[in-house]
Formats: sequence, C-alpha cells, structure tokens
Amino acid sequence: MMRNSLLAGVLAASLLASGVLVSTAVLVPGVAGAQEQAPSMAELLRRVEQGQVRDQQAFQQREAEFRGARADQERLLAEARERRAELEGTSEDLEATYEENEVRIGELEAALDKRLGSLRELFGVLQQVSSDTQGLFENSLVNIQYPERTAFLADLAAKMGTTSRLASMEEVERLWFELQREMTEQGRVVRFPTEIIELDGTRGPADVTRVGVFNIIAGDNYLQFTPQTGNVSVMPRQPEQGRFVRSVANLDEAAGGTEMVNFALDPTRGQILSLLTEKPNLVERIQQGGVVGYVIIGLGLLGLLLAAERLVSLGLASSKVSAQLKREQLDSGNPLGRVLKVGEENRRKDTETLELKLGEAILHETPALQRGILFLKLISVVAPLLGLLGTVTGMIVTFQAITLFGTGDPKLMAGGISQALVTTVLGLVVAIPIVFLHTIVNGRARRIQHVLQEQAAGVIAERAEELGGDGGKRQALAA
Amino acid sequence: MQGLFDQYAAIRDFLELGGDVLDLIVVVIFAMWVLILERIIFFSRQRRRLEQAVRQRWETRPERQSWNAKQVRDALVSRFKLQANAGIPLIKTMVALCPLLGLLGTVTGMIAVFEVMAVSGTGNARSMASGVAMATVPTMAGMVGALSGVFAGIMLSRKADRAVEKLRDSLTMDH
Repeated sequence: MMRNSLLAGVLAASLLASGVLVSTAVLVPGVAGAQEQAPSMAELLRRVEQGQVRDQQAFQQREAEFRGARADQERLLAEARERRAELEGTSEDLEATYEENEVRIGELEAALDKRLGSLRELFGVLQQVSSDTQGLFENSLVNIQYPERTAFLADLAAKMGTTSRLASMEEVERLWFELQREMTEQGRVVRFPTEIIELDGTRGPADVTRVGVFNIIAGDNYLQFTPQTGNVSVMPRQPEQGRFVRSVANLDEAAGGTEMVNFALDPTRGQILSLLTEKPNLVERIQQGGVVGYVIIGLGLLGLLLAAERLVSLGLASSKVSAQLKREQLDSGNPLGRVLKVGEENRRKDTETLELKLGEAILHETPALQRGILFLKLISVVAPLLGLLGTVTGMIVTFQAITLFGTGDPKLMAGGISQALVTTVLGLVVAIPIVFLHTIVNGRARRIQHVLQEQAAGVIAERAEELGGDGGKRQALAA
Repeated sequence: MQGLFDQYAAIRDFLELGGDVLDLIVVVIFAMWVLILERIIFFSRQRRRLEQAVRQRWETRPERQSWNAKQVRDALVSRFKLQANAGIPLIKTMVALCPLLGLLGTVTGMIAVFEVMAVSGTGNARSMASGVAMATVPTMAGMVGALSGVFAGIMLSRKADRAVEKLRDSLTMDH
C-alpha cells in the first residue's frame, strides 16, 4: 500500500517535470524569437540516432588500431625481459667481484697492520699530541710571534686522523721543534715588533715586550691577547695601583738589557690582572653611594671648613686672651680685654652693679665663641644617621631586585648592597673626624669661656689691689 | 731575641688581618693611653705641687673676706680646674671613637666580602674569609679599646672633680 502511493508520487513528479520541460521548450523560442527554428521532437530523435551511429564507427576504428599495436607491445615486453636478465647477470658478476675485493682488502689491511706494527700507536700519540698542543699554542702569548705553527699542527692532526696518510719524518721533527720552542720561549723576556690596537681603535705597529707566556707590555701599558681573533690590544683599564704600572715602564725601558728589574707579573696569564682592573676605584666607589653619599660628603666638607675656621679664630682668640692675662694694658681686640675694660669703667661702682655689668659683658662675648660648635656636633650626629638612611635605601633597592629577579644572580643585588655599604662607610668617615674636631674646638671655646666667666672678676680684683688699697674701700662700701 | 721576634711577627700578622682600619684603631688606642698615663702622672706628681702653690698664694694674701678676695679665690680654683681637666674631654672622645672606628672596619670588611662574592660567587667561603676577618677584627679591637678606656676616663674625670672640690674647700675664707 505504502509502496503504491510512493510509486504514484514519483510518477506525478515526473509528469510535472515533463510539463515544465514542455512549457520551457515552448517558452524559450518565444523569448528568442527569430534566432532559429525550434527542432521538433522527431528531429531530436533523428539527431540522437545519427550520433550513435557515428560513435560506433569511431569505436570500431579505435579497436582496430589497438589490435594492430598489440603485437608491437608484446615485442617490446620481450625485449625488456631480455635486458633485465642480462643486467641481473652483470649484477651477480659485480657482487662476486665485490666479495672477492673485500676479502682482498681484509688481507691487505692485515698485512698493513703487520707491517706498521707499533707505528700505528706512534701515529695515535702524534695525533693526540699535535691536537693538544694546537689548543695550547692558540692561547699562548708566544703565538703572536709565531702564528703559522698552529696551522701546521692542525694539518698534522688531521693527517694523523686518516688511516691512509703517513707523517713524514720532517713533520715529526717539526712537532718536536715546536714543543721545544714553546718551552724555551716560556722562560724568556723578549722584545719584538707586532701590530697592536690602541685604546682609540687604531691599529699600528709597536714594539712589545713579552714576559714568558704570562704578560705582554708596551710602553707603560699592559696588553691583552685575544686568541679567537689573534688581536693584541692595550688593556682598556690599567690597574689602579701605580706601583704595577710603574714596574711595567721599568721593564719596558730595561728590556733587552741584562740587569734585574722589578716587575709585577701575573702568573695566571691575565686573570688576576683583569680582576684587578675590574675593582672599582675611589671615584667609582663614591659614585656607588648615590645621592645620599653626595649629601654626606657635602656635609663633611662643610663641617671640615667650619672646624678649620673655628680652630683658627679660636686659636687666635685664645692666644690673645693668654697674652692679655699677662699684660697690664687693656686691649679691646680680645674678649678678655673687652670684659676687663667694662670692669675698669665700672670700677667705682658697687659690687652688685659691677657683677651685673661683667655678666652682661661676658654674655655679650659668648655667642661669638660658641658659634658653629653646635653645628659641628649636629654634623657628627647626622652623618652616621644619613649613612644609616643610605643603608636602608640600598637594602630597599636590593629587595626590589630580589622581588623582580629572585636571588639567583648576586650581581643584580650588588648595586643596592654597594650603595648600602658605601653610604655607611661615608657616614662614619665623615663623623669620626668631625667628632674629634668638635672636641678640640669645644675645648678651646670652653677654655676661653672659663677664663671669662670664672677668672675675669678675679683679674679685675687683682688689678684693683695692685693699683692700691681700692679693695678695702669697696668692701667698706659694700658693707 | 727569638721570643721578641715571634711577638713582633704575631702582632704584624694580627695587624695585617684587620686591614687599614685596625691600624687607625691602634693609633687611637695608643694616643688615648698616652693621654691617660699623662693624667695619671699629673695626679700623682704635679697635682700636689700645683695645689701647694695655689694654697700658698691664697694664704699669703693680706685679707681673705672681701669681694675681691672671693673673686681671686674663684679665679685660682678655676685655673686649677682647667689644668686638672686638661685632656680629659679628648680621652672621652677617643673612647667614643673606638666603637665607631670598629664599625667602620666592619663595613669596609663587608665591602671586601661582597667584592670577592661579585668575582668568585658565593661558592668559595675560603676566599671570603679575609674580608670577614677584616670585618670582625677591627670591631673587636674597637670594643676592647673603648672598654679599656671607659673606666680610665670615668676615674680620671671623678678624680679631677674631687681634686677641685678639695682645693676649693681648703681655701678657707674665715681667717
């Protein structure tokens, strides 16, 4: 039942489709108009029939052609088979030859081994020695003088590496000679001309002095040798210590002579020298302190200047005061003289007024004596505190570096740590002399003040008594 | 003789161990003890003579009760006080400086340690040892110097005060 309905549906659909076809067939010419006459259905059928006939003819023709060619192909196949068989034969022949040759090679190698005997061992040693020596020579300062020997050694090592080539007697002897030469050169101080690179990058010929395999120098500079490029250049930084550089100049002057000269030799072939030049100098150390360091240094300089000024002026005042103590005449050029003058002027007055006047005069002198001393004290206290500040800011820098990069590389933390330590050192270096100077300056000022406060009245009394019987009169007045 | 040389070598090695700052500390401690000894000699020898002179000057005065006499007495005592106290502030300053110098040595030693660390890394403790010695030896020397001087300083300052008071008391005004 279901099937029947499906069938009916398909039929209807095909009918519909043909209807559409018919309608289009009718429609298209209607649109095209005069283009061409529409072929009828019968015409269409006829054309299809003709086409079929034509195709059939072509097929038959082609079939005939193929049949003709078949024989040809078969002949070619036979030829190819024949050729294959022939080549297989050749291959077998060659294989046999190969095997024969292999046996022969084995026999010959055995014979070679037998004949070489202990020579093979010798060649192994030669290869090893020449390649070892090549590495050694490349890094040696002697290589500047004899650069061609490494090529020879490389050549020899390569030759010994292959089994097919033998070293000649000359080459073996030359290896011996080169080793001997290196050994001899290690113990010599020689001067020879070569090309060096100056600090400004210019290349130029120069006479250099080589001390064994340890150092090369020119003029009063240490040179460095770069084995990779073969360049000899002036070390960008010479050691800070003058005694090393001076010894270089000595050697350079004395090179070629026979007398003994002091020379700072680096037995590690330049390692210690490069570490020495990496060490920061005083200026770089101070720069490591940063802003805080400069502030401390400024304060220290200020303190030193102030202390020097105070020392001079207080020393002058002190010597004038002690001169005044011994002398009769009053001089208004010193504090004691001025105070005594006030006493002299008020001599006739009663003791209370005199004391008041004296007190006033002493009070007038005090600020000039005390000036700057408090500031010195302040610097001696503040400098270590600033050092502590620098320590803490340096530690902050260090911890920031740790936060960012971790603790893996100590060099990243080094900046902060140097800042911390250098500022502490600067603080102490400033504070210690300033404390010392403060004590001395303060001692001088207090000595003068003592003289003024405790002795001025006594001096006046003594003078009055010397002038004659005045004391008794005043005593009577006071009483 | 050999013993003397051994002593010299030991001291030299110790000074080299501590670096430059230790030399400075040694100089400061030496100067401090020279000053202390000078004060001790002063109190044991010159003090009596000075007191005698002051007392004599006072006793030979015709009168000792007027305002003038009082001022002269104060002046005499003040002069003696200055002489008795001379150098004591400097001793006290040096006592205070010793630990500061020790701290300076600590920090310079730390710088040496970090310098070594920057070059050879943290692996080699042996190469850092000289810096650590430079850091610790001056600290110890500074402490020892301060401790040795602090008692002497206090003792001397009390001695001076007492001497001044005694002198003042002995200069009586009543006769």
